Amino acid sequence: MTDAKALRRIRLFLFLAVVLLVVAAFADHLAPHDPYLQDLDLSLLPPGGAYPLGTDRFGRCVLSRVLAGSTISIYTSLAVVALTFVLGTVTGLVAGFCGGWVDTVLMRITDVFLAFPVLVFAIVAAAMFGGIGGSQFSGLTGAILALALISWPKYARLVRSQVLAVRNKPFISAARFSGCSKADILFRQILPLAIAPTFLMMTADIGTMLLEMAGLSFLGLGVQPPAAEWGLMISSGRSLLQTAPWVIFAPGAALFITVTIFNLLGDSIHDYMETRFGKGD
Amino acid sequence: MSKPVVKRLLLLIPVLFGISVVTFLLMHVSAEDAVDVMYQQSGAVSESVKAATRARLGLDQPLPVQYALWLRSLFLGTSRSIGTGQPVSAMVLAKLPATLFLTVSSLALTVAVSLPLGVHCALHKDKVSDYIVRIVSFAGNALPGFFVSFLLLYYVAVRLHWLPVMGDGSWQSYILPACSLALPMTAKYTRYIRGEFLRELGKPYVAASLLRGIPYAVILRRFVLKSASLTLITVLALSVGSLLGGTAIIESIFRIDGIGNMAVRAILMKDYPVIQAYVLWTAGIYTVVNLAADLLYHHFDPRIVATDTSEGGGRHD
Amino acid sequence: MTGFSGRHSVHGLLCFLLAGLVSCAIVLAGCGGTKQAANGEKVFRYGTMAYGVAMYNAGMNPHKSYNGWSTIRYGVGETLFRFNDKMQPVPWLATGYDRPDAYTVRIRIRDGVTFSNGKPCDAEAVAACLRHLVKVHERAKGNLKLTSVTARGNVVTLRSSQKTASLIHQLCDPYGCIVDVSQDLQDDTKVIGTGPFLTESLTPTEIHLRRNPRYWGGPVRTDKVIVKSITDGEMLTMALQNGEVDAVQGMPYSSIVLFEGAKDKFKILSVPTSRVFQAALNFRTPALQDGRVRAAICMALNKQQFIHALLNDNGYAAIGTFPGNLPYGGSKVHDDGYNPDKARALLAEAGYKDTDGDGYVDKDGKNLELRWLTYTSRQELPLLATAMQGYLKKIGIRLDVNATDNAGDFLKKGDWDIYAKAIVTAPTGDPQYYIANHFTAQSAHNDGRYRNPAVDALVQQFSGEFNPERRGQLAIAIVQQVLDDHAFLYASHLRMNLVMRNGIRGFVPHPCDYYEVTKDLDVTGEGR
Repeated sequence: MTDAKALRRIRLFLFLAVVLLVVAAFADHLAPHDPYLQDLDLSLLPPGGAYPLGTDRFGRCVLSRVLAGSTISIYTSLAVVALTFVLGTVTGLVAGFCGGWVDTVLMRITDVFLAFPVLVFAIVAAAMFGGIGGSQFSGLTGAILALALISWPKYARLVRSQVLAVRNKPFISAARFSGCSKADILFRQILPLAIAPTFLMMTADIGTMLLEMAGLSFLGLGVQPPAAEWGLMISSGRSLLQTAPWVIFAPGAALFITVTIFNLLGDSIHDYMETRFGKGD
Repeated sequence: MSKPVVKRLLLLIPVLFGISVVTFLLMHVSAEDAVDVMYQQSGAVSESVKAATRARLGLDQPLPVQYALWLRSLFLGTSRSIGTGQPVSAMVLAKLPATLFLTVSSLALTVAVSLPLGVHCALHKDKVSDYIVRIVSFAGNALPGFFVSFLLLYYVAVRLHWLPVMGDGSWQSYILPACSLALPMTAKYTRYIRGEFLRELGKPYVAASLLRGIPYAVILRRFVLKSASLTLITVLALSVGSLLGGTAIIESIFRIDGIGNMAVRAILMKDYPVIQAYVLWTAGIYTVVNLAADLLYHHFDPRIVATDTSEGGGRHD
Repeated sequence: MTGFSGRHSVHGLLCFLLAGLVSCAIVLAGCGGTKQAANGEKVFRYGTMAYGVAMYNAGMNPHKSYNGWSTIRYGVGETLFRFNDKMQPVPWLATGYDRPDAYTVRIRIRDGVTFSNGKPCDAEAVAACLRHLVKVHERAKGNLKLTSVTARGNVVTLRSSQKTASLIHQLCDPYGCIVDVSQDLQDDTKVIGTGPFLTESLTPTEIHLRRNPRYWGGPVRTDKVIVKSITDGEMLTMALQNGEVDAVQGMPYSSIVLFEGAKDKFKILSVPTSRVFQAALNFRTPALQDGRVRAAICMALNKQQFIHALLNDNGYAAIGTFPGNLPYGGSKVHDDGYNPDKARALLAEAGYKDTDGDGYVDKDGKNLELRWLTYTSRQELPLLATAMQGYLKKIGIRLDVNATDNAGDFLKKGDWDIYAKAIVTAPTGDPQYYIANHFTAQSAHNDGRYRNPAVDALVQQFSGEFNPERRGQLAIAIVQQVLDDHAFLYASHLRMNLVMRNGIRGFVPHPCDYYEVTKDLDVTGEGR
């Protein structure tokens, strides 16, 4: 496709993503009811009337909870991705630039984390860090740390390979000859090129992190009730699939839409980079 | 075996060692131990009973001693589960086949579906079928695995009675779980193969070969398919790692007696001999699979040096 | 791109592969489906949440861990006495007992009882079994404190280092299953008991049993029993709907509704159990040291509404510790009931008023905030926690819920204000077990550090009191005092359900949860 068409697509999905972020930020004001207000007499009302998406077992408005969940779910995955990016980039830069035994040690540490089964680490980290952050969101910190700690290796590897590829290019030697300091070379020349491909990975990862958090909620880790997190809402409403399906389909649809939008954004960036910078970079 | 390969295999040992130490420490961070969990059921067990059980299991020793004892039991093969008292190695070997079968079948399913679909989309780029497949593959990637499996379960097993609900050892009972695992992977890899195929097709040598009169079909088969498959192999190998760890959820839903299920239970029961075994096995398999993928890649394309997969790979779901 | 034909040959090949795969799957899928019994045998397929490694009962040897629960539940083993519906011990393998002194019990063994391998189950065999039990099983040793076990004629004499008021009850615990200890107990399929079934094969997720042709109690109606461990509530429901099991234990409440509406195919049998969902208040928390605050919290819970809306009526509102089907439980004690207005008044009296209009009462500028700690393995507990958040909010208290599998950690660290758990209050039909473990200064499970010397004194009397009626009266007095002190909040007692298809007969739940598969179990074709 042409440059212009690719750019248009990026703009479209970026716009949608921003809409999501805004909704998540202002969820409190958009929600028709208090997402945590219970009334057991209104338990499991089907969608309609005062409760556009119905109520759950505790009589709480599902729409309000889905909106509240957007805040928690979206901003948590953004936090995880940001954390992962920072950890991974720093490690990759240092490893690629310094080389030698620093590189070997860092890469072996990366290996350990890569080979670690996701599940063990997630559960144990969620347990270990579960006590931080007060009771209502006690599992949240644990989940963020757990997911970040097992996701940073791939960023480290990617950045490192980029640094290695760029490091020996002629223009770097030129810069060195012309007297630029090592730090200068690292930050001004190498860094921008090294982290360019990570942006794509980050947008893809937002969706992945959302799904991983849902998986943790399913196992009873990460966020705990009564927090309105989409994954938790889906897994605790599981037994209602046959009797009150709106309780699961609402957060499921929200999760689906959000992940799709971020994935499409990532894809459109990828397509743009392909058309712009050619094949097989 | 060549030197780099041997070096890679030897490096496995410190990695495994590091993992086992980390797991051991993490397991003992909690103030509760396996005995506490064991007696939660009866709710009225005196400390003396607990102390007697701890002494019997060797849990009252200082941590470094416990670790050393565990290491010794590992080499002698006498490591036992705290929950059942069974030898851990026997447990793992008994349950490993189920997980491997699930892993292999879902990977096979993925390849069987995503390869043809991806190629089709590449060749019919921007046509109707391309768009349909791409939209559906987006859908497949945007739902959590357990949600999809419940939907599948409900509609296919309960409503249509096509398949059994539970794992009962028959191979039919692996169909739904394999599909649940394959769905997100197929979605992702269909798009990936499409992209790779298109990239290869755009390369100068394709146009050059066509100009020289080589039939298009031959070009596709001989070069393009092969190079797209190579990247697919590396990426699939990385998937094996997360599959091995991630089948746990699917295994517990579908009641499959694999090591993922075993691990979840062991973690909740703080049964650390079992957890250690699980961690070591999955880490080992993952590393070996990646090494094999690297070698395969190197074999087909000797330009790539088989010492490190420093591509942007990592965990794939 | 040119060259259509070339493109299509590769493309076509791949599409053919795909189509072939899909059609194979559909054809072979049709071969799946429910299993039928072979050659007219009566097979009972049972799905349960209560069996498995996580329950520590994945085995048949009663002298190991909690495996005795499986031995007795699935008809392999039997105990000397058993509980009737009122949780009173009645003869089973024994015919009666007497007490020559406070530290001794003499038990008469029934004539004609045999093990499933044909050997007689006489006093010698019983004595050998019990000796082995207290030698290897830590919990039994600690509970029974037997100093000697001897047999003469058809009488077994047990001597203990503590007074034997509750010894007979203790022997009804599943670890008391009488097995032939001359056999190898390590192999689960070789554990020989006296029950109507034998173990054919056993794994941590599945047990296959077949009928014992030599059962001393009479003919056994069903030929084979298959017990499947299913840990997921959804799977349980779907397996029963799909006909893959005949009966289910542990179905989630919200799914039972589906079967209530299908009376032509399924039936639901329920029984009240003595398992209670309770909350202990932490006396170390400053706010909870004021009795009025504790009383307000107890009055804030609308037990009936909770049970109706969240447990789908599968519970019985609890007043005190013990359920109504026990002679010393139910309405023998009284509480303040559901009274949010009075609760708010009490809080105001204690100095808590909502001065800043944020919906929560405060005192000295700080909102009244409490931490509720619980675990998630029982579906009712997170439901209760979330519901209490709503109820306490209505009287102005802010409740932070910490529902985690690591509840034990927080408990040990004292990082909680209210701790909710589920516990069987009278596993042996006797009140002493729970009371001694929760209400006194020395209790192992008095998590909130509740202290009342009057209660301590009453509990002391238990060890010397052998008369069951007077023991019951002691229990009533103690529980009433605890309720008046508002040390514990009892929400509801568990109603246990067995959901099964109509063709199953003789499969009945029991309040103590020990007895499930018996010789009366019968499988007919109805409801398939």
